[in-house]
This record gives sequence, C-alpha cells and structure tokens, in this order.
Amino acid sequence: MAVAATLLFAAGCSKPKPVIAPEPVAAPAPTTAAPATTAPDAAGEVRSEPALIPAGTPESGVLAGELPADLAELNRAGYLKDAFFDTNKADLRDDTREALAANAAWLRAHPSVRVTIEGHCDERNTTEFNLALGWRRANAVRDYLASLGVDAARFATISYGEERPFAQCHDESCWSQNRRAHLVITAR
Amino acid sequence: MTTRTSIAVVALFLLPAGAGFAQNEVYLQVTTPGLQRVVIAAPAFAPRPGADPTALAAFNSTLTRDLEQTAVLALLPADRIALVEIDPKNANLTRQRWRAVGAQFLLEGTVAGAGSQFVCEARLWDLVSGEVAYSRRLQSPATLAPTVAHTLANELVNLFTGRPGPFLSRIAFVSDRSGAKEIWVMRWDGGEPQQLTSHRSIAVGPAWSPDGLYLAFTSFLAGRPALYLLKPTEGYMRPLSEGPGVNSSPSFSPDGRRVALAAGADGNTDIVVASLDGGGIERLSSGRSIETQPAWSPNGRQIAFTSNATGAPQIFVMDAEGTNVRRLTFEDRFADEAAWAPDGIRLAYTTLVEGRFQIAILDVRTGARTVVAGPGNNESPCWSPDGTMLAFASNRTGTKQIYVTDPTGVARAITDTGNNSQPVWVAQLPAR
Repeated sequence: MAVAATLLFAAGCSKPKPVIAPEPVAAPAPTTAAPATTAPDAAGEVRSEPALIPAGTPESGVLAGELPADLAELNRAGYLKDAFFDTNKADLRDDTREALAANAAWLRAHPSVRVTIEGHCDERNTTEFNLALGWRRANAVRDYLASLGVDAARFATISYGEERPFAQCHDESCWSQNRRAHLVITAR
Repeated sequence: MTTRTSIAVVALFLLPAGAGFAQNEVYLQVTTPGLQRVVIAAPAFAPRPGADPTALAAFNSTLTRDLEQTAVLALLPADRIALVEIDPKNANLTRQRWRAVGAQFLLEGTVAGAGSQFVCEARLWDLVSGEVAYSRRLQSPATLAPTVAHTLANELVNLFTGRPGPFLSRIAFVSDRSGAKEIWVMRWDGGEPQQLTSHRSIAVGPAWSPDGLYLAFTSFLAGRPALYLLKPTEGYMRPLSEGPGVNSSPSFSPDGRRVALAAGADGNTDIVVASLDGGGIERLSSGRSIETQPAWSPNGRQIAFTSNATGAPQIFVMDAEGTNVRRLTFEDRFADEAAWAPDGIRLAYTTLVEGRFQIAILDVRTGARTVVAGPGNNESPCWSPDGTMLAFASNRTGTKQIYVTDPTGVARAITDTGNNSQPVWVAQLPAR
C-alpha cells in the first residue's frame, strides 16, 4: 500500500486533497458513467480535515435505511462513481480524484457500506500483464479512498484485467471506457 | 504468417552410420529460407500375412503425414519412389538406385498382426555408407497404430536433431467456445480438442509441468484469481497460490518441483516461486514496478520475466535465485510473454510493431532480434518441444485463433471455434 500511495502523491499533489462533500450525495448518477470529463477542481474544495465527518451525520443504520435494500438496485443507482485511467497507467488523474473524493464523502456518510473495487484494462496489453495492471488500479483507488478517511478494511480489491470489458469495440472510444476501477457495493 | 524470416532447423551433421547417435553434434539455428533438409525415401510399410488392413492404412497415412511436417526431413516424392526398381537379391544395387533418384536415407519397414498384437518393424538405411542407421520394433494394440507411427516419426526426428518430433505432443490453450474462458487441450495439429475445466468463470494462462502430468493456470473459480494445479489424467485439482493478488502466469521449473508466478498483495505484482511440495512461497523480485510472466529457462538457472520498471513492459532475465537482474529487450516499444526455446538460446516474445502485436525472436547470446510478422495481432508464442515450430494466437481473421508455423515459417490455424488463446505445448502426455 505504501508503494501505491507514494506513487499517487508523487503524481500531482503535495498531499491528498481532503474533500467533504455536502450531505449524503444527492442524486444518483447514471450507472453507465462515462469517463468524467469535468475540469479538475482546484483548491476550492478543501474545507476541512479529511477524517472529519460532517456534524449531524446519522449513524449507519439510519442512512442505510434510505438506500435501496436490494444490492443490485443499490449498485444500479450509481452512488459510487468509477475511476478512469490513462493507457498503461495506474496513476489517478485529476478528474478521477474528483470522482473518488465524492465517493469517499458518500462512504464516510454510509459507514456500513462495503465495496469491492474491480480493476479493469483495455485489450491493448497481454492477458497477464493486464491482470497485474488492473490489480494496481484497484489498489490505487483503495489507497486513495483510504487516504480520504475511509477505512481500508471496508474494501476488497480484485483485478479482472481485460477479461470483463465494459465496451466491446476495438478503438479508443471503448478502450477509454475499459480502463477503469469499477466500484461495486457488496454490503449495505 | 508471411515469411519475413522463418524458423527452421538445419542438421549440419549428417549422421555417420554406425556411430552412436547420442554422441553426434546437432546444430540448431534460426535461418532464412533455403534450409537444407535430409532427403528420405519412405515407401509405404508393407504388410506381413495377417496384418490388420485398417491398422496398416492408419499407420502408413499417419507416418507419411508426420514425416511431411518435419523441419529436417524432405520426403522423396511418390513419383520418384516409383522409379526405383527393388532388387531383393542385390541390396547394394538397390541402394544405388535409391541414391540415383536423390534419396540420402531410406526408411523401410513392415507391419504385422492384429488385435492386441500389432507389430511394426522399421529400419533406416544411410544410403551413403550403406549401413543401418536405426532399427526399431514397436508393438501395441492395433487401435493404437497411429500412435506407433507418431512414435516412430518422433524417433526419426530425434536422430537428426537430438530432440524428439512433435507428433505425440499436445497443446493446452484457453478457449471461450463453451461460453466462458476454460482450459482445453488438443493434439499439436488441432485434433481431438478436449475441455479440461468447467469453471464457468475465467480460466487463463495455462502452463505444463515438463512431464505433462500437471497443468497450472489461473481461475476466478472462487471469485478471485487463484493459481490451480490440475492433473488432467485424473481430473484432480488443487489451489497452489491463492493469496491476494493476481496469482497468474505460472512457469514450471525444469525439474517440475516449483512454479514461478506473478503474485503480491497491495497492488504490487512480483515474481514469486511456489513449491509443489508445500514448501511455501518465496519472493524473487520486489519494488514498485509490475513484474509478471516468468519463464524458467530450460537449464533451470534463469528466469525471464516482464517488468515495467523502465516504463513500457520489457523483458528482463534474472538468476533463478532472484539476483543478477538484467534487461534483454531494447529495440521494442513493448515486450512481454517470453518463451524459451528448448535450446535455451532463443527467446520468443510478443512485441509491438506499428500498433500491432507481433512475435519476435531474440538470440540471448548475441542480442540479435528477428520479428516474425503476420497479419492482425499475433501474441503468446510458445515453441514446439523440438524447437522447430511456434504456436501463437492471432486475430487475423477477426476471431482469435491458434496458429502453428510449419518448418518454413508459414502459419496455419489449428482452431476455428470460438476464440482461442495462450497456447502451451508439451512433448507428450503421460500414459494413463
């Protein structure tokens, strides 16, 4: 974990950007999330220390009650955004960090939720190298979420390499979709 | 595969008759087309009285097909064979007639028997010296006549190359033809495909133990990737490495007692070695980069592997203890999937040329590199057990299929159903 975290922080910011989102993330995002294209946000978001939970956040049970009971439905609702990567990279892009910061806020507000982070790759490496690359991506996301105050023990990580592509064509329009860490809620 | 260069074997030494073959030097090399092959006359084996005609036909057609596919032998065409008048009373004269039509060696033999007592007797004449270079008697049930022919063809190739031919060999591979990626096995020419796993999950990256007794591979059977050891003859399977990480790309040590693989928790994938006797797992590489695809050298002293320590994936080699790491590929934008030829000198791997995967062959002594380009993407090379042919996966037709090069480097598909990938070749399966 130390290795991945070091890489992350070397790649752009001197320290993790702590982000406290507003109360539990409001509208569910569309499930088939396109790669986030919003411009990286700058300092404006940094409002407090990362580990703080917004005052008045209810304990898990209350909030969890507002979530769909069925896990498949809960995942379809798209509370958690996927993280997208550049070719051959497991470094977090700025737009990826932004999406993950929102995920971290939501996860802090829903402390009973457990998540499997799946690392995925496009088809432009060999099967075995992509397994290793997907593993690195999944763990990079886990480490970043942990750095934002989410207990790492709530995450499981797995790599699917290039074996479970989201988009099926053979050009960048699909490859950019397939280079991702996909977050799946496994317990609410 | 178009033949920019081809992979071939040249037996520079013809065999002095009468000498022990084991002492003969044999030279293997990558060469351009125009290889010199030994011309061998192999008229159909004659039946003795009572020989099973079905077994005889199966034996002769199998032997001819095998000998046509060797890299070292050129079969004398049938029309030339027909020119030779056999004089049973004058062997010397007959030999001269064989030489006159261009043969350097003559393979002649008989088959006899039926049922459980099918017997083949073969003799190879060195037509230059006039001496018997090899003789063999093989017995089996008549139903196994093709296996007898394969065995004979293997031994003939062994005479000229020092390594047995591929004719009893099997190729394990990954296929999605059943709906999920499973491990399959087939004959080296694509015959008799047989499904070995039914995990209905993802099974990838098979590797044979040297004796063909075990297959190691990665399966998501338990929900996450773990390395399993399968004994195909018994259907028996057990996990070998199932900790966090990818547990992928196994390679057996030549003594069959250890398996190198890629594994590691916390995102970092390294080369580790697992003992089959339960001796635990030893880490060979470390650091921040991804290390994967270990390939144990034939003499057991080195392990080639892929690392992105210098940026894009490249092939490195280290001593089997994990020391003395050095980079092997310098001319490639990408290099992965190293596969040692049995000579321990040539290393086939997957490179990237003009945006497409292609197979490259590196001479690790000289650093000379040859790209064997073909249409589409070509990846996951592996050598035939005799080092004269390559199998690989290509998507040149739109689906991914397995191809085998013939001795001149021309590739032909040996699969056509579903998508098939990651071929690995073994000399022979153990007897059941």
